[in-house]
Amino acid sequence: MSTLLEVSGVSKTFDGFRAINNLSFQIGEPELRAVIGPNGAGKTTFMDIVTGKTKPDEGRVIFGEKSVSLLKLSESQIAQAGIGRKFQRPTVFEDQSVADNLMMALKKDRSPWAVLRFRPRQRDHGAVAQLADEIGLVDHLTRRAGDLSHGQKQWLEIGMLLAQDPRLLLVDEPAAGMTPAEREHTTDILVQAAKTRAVVVVEHDMEFVRRLDCKVTVLHEGSVLAEGSLDHVTADEKVIEVYLGR
Amino acid sequence: MTHTSSFDQKYRGVPGALAPRSRPFIQRHPSVMIFIACLALFTLVVTVLSEGFGVGLISTSFVKTLGKTLCLCLVALAMDVVWGYCGILSLGHMAFFGIGGYAIGMWLMYARTELIVVQSLAAAPLPPTPEEISQGIATQIFGVVGASEFPPIWAFAHSLPLQLAAVVLVPGLLALVFGWLAFRARVTGVYLSILTQAMTLALALYLFQNDSGLRGNNGLSGLQNLPGQADTPQSTISIWFFWAAALALGLGYIFCAWMVSGKFGSVIRAIRDDEARVRFLGYSVEAYKLTVFTVTAVIAGIAGALYYPQAGIINPAEIAPIASIYLAVWVAIGGRGRLYGAVIGAAFVSLLSTWFTGGQAPDINLGVYTIQWVNWWTVLLGLSFVVVTLLAPKGIGGLFDLIGKGRKS
Repeated sequence: MSTLLEVSGVSKTFDGFRAINNLSFQIGEPELRAVIGPNGAGKTTFMDIVTGKTKPDEGRVIFGEKSVSLLKLSESQIAQAGIGRKFQRPTVFEDQSVADNLMMALKKDRSPWAVLRFRPRQRDHGAVAQLADEIGLVDHLTRRAGDLSHGQKQWLEIGMLLAQDPRLLLVDEPAAGMTPAEREHTTDILVQAAKTRAVVVVEHDMEFVRRLDCKVTVLHEGSVLAEGSLDHVTADEKVIEVYLGR
Repeated sequence: MTHTSSFDQKYRGVPGALAPRSRPFIQRHPSVMIFIACLALFTLVVTVLSEGFGVGLISTSFVKTLGKTLCLCLVALAMDVVWGYCGILSLGHMAFFGIGGYAIGMWLMYARTELIVVQSLAAAPLPPTPEEISQGIATQIFGVVGASEFPPIWAFAHSLPLQLAAVVLVPGLLALVFGWLAFRARVTGVYLSILTQAMTLALALYLFQNDSGLRGNNGLSGLQNLPGQADTPQSTISIWFFWAAALALGLGYIFCAWMVSGKFGSVIRAIRDDEARVRFLGYSVEAYKLTVFTVTAVIAGIAGALYYPQAGIINPAEIAPIASIYLAVWVAIGGRGRLYGAVIGAAFVSLLSTWFTGGQAPDINLGVYTIQWVNWWTVLLGLSFVVVTLLAPKGIGGLFDLIGKGRKS
């Protein structure tokens, strides 16, 4: 397992509030990692920094074998480099069909000219159908994405991420608002995805994290408080104090 | 990812998975075919009823009105792509339309004045030198603004191919530079609309100046007279331009339909709905916006180049910010996000506007007050814009959904 993403010494201040404070974080490939922490611990800001939405005040973010600095890239370039992100609120393109959503996400040349000339071939339709099968939406391909249930939208978004075939997947509270059966399916998809790539799951729900059965990083006030197995971190004095004890 | 043929078989018949896509574009989009058929029929009927080529039931001036309307439909298509599909509320596309008109107008005016000058100098005892001819043309064209020399921007006015290139290149380059600056700075929404209005206003104010090189507020005139066609009656020329406008609209419709179908259309609609999400999918939102903005500016320029020879005159008032706002109103009333909606909106509202402001609409005498439509039309238009936006966001085009629903049930 080699290091895929290395975040070191990163800080970010918003109007005097230190959202991220000298944060260092590493993830290998393939690996499944859960990131937990109380509200305001900097989980979302951490994702914003990795995906290029927010530029940090200081620190380094290095990605891949060639050690590319992500701080110099735009959001779309970072996505093309192989980092996919799933937001907390499901954001699919509601006005378009499930198939169109997946087709857009499929890993292809993204320049306007190439997209203008692009006409899907049989294998592209096949890839879309296969993805839809994985996320349990194969019977809903022609439906408007806006007509799907909340859980189905979450899956569609995960499917779109898988379609991008990223090396690093950042997933923000994937199980929010899901039924127990849907959670189980989501766990399966994530565990499966983490066999070939790095997956970072930000989650509040301890039960869900336990089911992921992976290394856990606890964030607090913008830096790493503890790291290790779930049992290890939940036994940690500091973690109990700031997060679990109250 | 690789897929075996057994895999393909597994999903065969799943709706949307393996849809047959080998049929030609037109067949996959029946609405395009219907539109082209309607346009062809309309062109045929107008030709048969015209004074120039038919029985003369439609006056030449009305043929020109219809031809101009087709050009407005074409620029409305461009507006629908940039606003209805890509979500960029540009309030500056009529500036590109005007630039197209100026570009072709320069050649029309130059070439016709040249013929007149050469003719008048032919009687002189000595054959005129090229300098004398050029001087004569310049005096003729710019005398009205107190100048007698060609400004640098008229350097290519003698050449039809070069001015035709300018019809496409000048709006395209302006849109490219403006769009690059605006989109790169991530100016969106109402701020972008204001910026495009500012661009339009600046251009109009510049053109109003006498030393702008385009005859200030006089604009370019006599554009209805084609050089070398002095003996051809306007009834014939009007039909030529009507045909050209119909052809341009047909081709423009097919091009726009091709652009907004498929994955490109998917991406630009996605940008309209949630551009941040599109960035995280790996698409450069700025590059797409710039492409759409520039391509539609070029379409607007072409529409303008066909419009103004039918109107006969172009002046800076045509580029005033209000013109671009009207364009947005047409598209909104017709129904944005569908191409035929834009065409219907532009045709319906602009023809109605011609009727109301042409003094043909009967005034309504309320006893205490008489409603004169020439003045009240804009109020009515504004009200209908508000009503459509609030109550029927799909516009006139939305009626087609009702028909479709009625047929299904």
